[in-house]
Amino acid sequence: MFWHEGRKQDSTIKRINSLVTNGQLTPPAALASLCQTTDPTTATESNSSDTLQQALSQLNNLVGLDDVKQLVLEIKALVEIQQRRARAGLINEPLVLHMIFRGNPGSGKTTVARILGSIFKGLGILSKGHLIEVERADLVGEYIGHTAIKTREQVKRALGGILFVDEAYSLARGGNKDFGKESIDCLVKLMEDHRDDLVLILAGYREEMDFFLKSNPGLRSRFPIQIDFPDYTLEQLLDIAQVFLSERDYCLSTAAREELSRQLRLTQYLQHSGNARLVRNLIERAIRRQAVRLADKQHLSRNELMTIEPVDLKGGSAA
Amino acid sequence: MKECLVVGKVGTGKTLFVLNFASYLGFSQVNITIEYPDGRIKTKHYSIDTARQQLVGVDLHTTKSLQSIVIDIPAVKGVRRCLITDSSGLIDHIHQDINIRQAIAQTLSAIRQADLIIHIVDSSQVGIHDAPSALGEVDYQVAQFAQMRGGYVILANKMDIPGAERGLSKLSLELPGHKIIPISALHKQGFKEVKAFVRHHL
Repeated sequence: MFWHEGRKQDSTIKRINSLVTNGQLTPPAALASLCQTTDPTTATESNSSDTLQQALSQLNNLVGLDDVKQLVLEIKALVEIQQRRARAGLINEPLVLHMIFRGNPGSGKTTVARILGSIFKGLGILSKGHLIEVERADLVGEYIGHTAIKTREQVKRALGGILFVDEAYSLARGGNKDFGKESIDCLVKLMEDHRDDLVLILAGYREEMDFFLKSNPGLRSRFPIQIDFPDYTLEQLLDIAQVFLSERDYCLSTAAREELSRQLRLTQYLQHSGNARLVRNLIERAIRRQAVRLADKQHLSRNELMTIEPVDLKGGSAA
Repeated sequence: MKECLVVGKVGTGKTLFVLNFASYLGFSQVNITIEYPDGRIKTKHYSIDTARQQLVGVDLHTTKSLQSIVIDIPAVKGVRRCLITDSSGLIDHIHQDINIRQAIAQTLSAIRQADLIIHIVDSSQVGIHDAPSALGEVDYQVAQFAQMRGGYVILANKMDIPGAERGLSKLSLELPGHKIIPISALHKQGFKEVKAFVRHHL
């Protein structure tokens, strides 16, 4: 029985107990803190808190994206204050968290969306916090009536989490007679119906998304949060490469870092060059090439096994 | 096994309630599991009479640990077994004795985990003084915390003392929306309703 094994304490209660024991918090203030950290709708409040902390930590570890991080913190603060206002019996406007993400490929849109799912789950806004990533082909049907069924299916999968529509502008590319328009109408209705347990994110290139929103004036007001994902700078891309490599126990030699920098500088002139995804592909290719380079050697030091040399990076951009 | 935690300010009669409630349910002997704030756990066997003599006191903070008894509540089919846990009394201020502060921290830890919170207040004091001063900030906070999570009852104790009836009326106004059962832990009055409430919430 549990009292023979001792009581389990989560981090919140440990912190509060420590303050009470050290004479830094009165019992009423400690109880008030417990009120603030207790989610009455779920028995897994400590798990939610852990999920939230992990997600915020992941967000902070992302290279760059300072504006995005700031906005996420604002949303988090707003949600927390809304919840506290609700507990105090104050009027709250319903939270609308549907969003538009604008940015080039590899600028972190999907990664941030996935982290947001965990944050919203941790805050108790979403019941599951998972991410369903779809594109036009997953939503738009081929004959009359097919689109609504496909769209509803995807929304159903995403309930409790985030439905992330990549290249969302493509839904409007066929004009009024295209079934994409039907999918937009269906999404708008379903996102209103399920706004308590679904967040819809429409994502795509900046210019195309602007055009998409202009051509569908009713949409803009339904997506109060619009986030721009700028391209990474060269230094940030090199930092991202460093993160990818460290996660896999690899490192760049000084010459290899210069070679990677040279390659990235060249690709920066190309529009939609791929950003972080390009870096990941370059690194993965380099890791494969390093393996080939070392495969025939009998004796390898730990350093050799870890180090990527310029020769591993040469040979053009990533596959 | 579900746990009913008995909480309240110091001197409201928590320990006497736990022992007399066990007695009311038919126990003449009890095993009391004592969880000390430092993590030690001991089980001691007492007769109810001995426990009353040794554990109930007029001094403040007589109880400095969590003290649990396994009780059986008769139900339609068989019995419902649960743990009833007495706790160290809560206060509004920071106590100078670290042992008391540790015991209060232990109560706060248990309050978060309990399945049912039994909050005892001294209705005779509420009858004599203004409700806010007699109840204390900690009582309001316990009620607010419990309101968020359900499984909560207030026992207006010491109804055998003159003025307690007035205190009960004030209590209903001061803590609206909560179930309040008037009892006398000393005379085991109101225990039938407490038993029904506990059985219903287990």
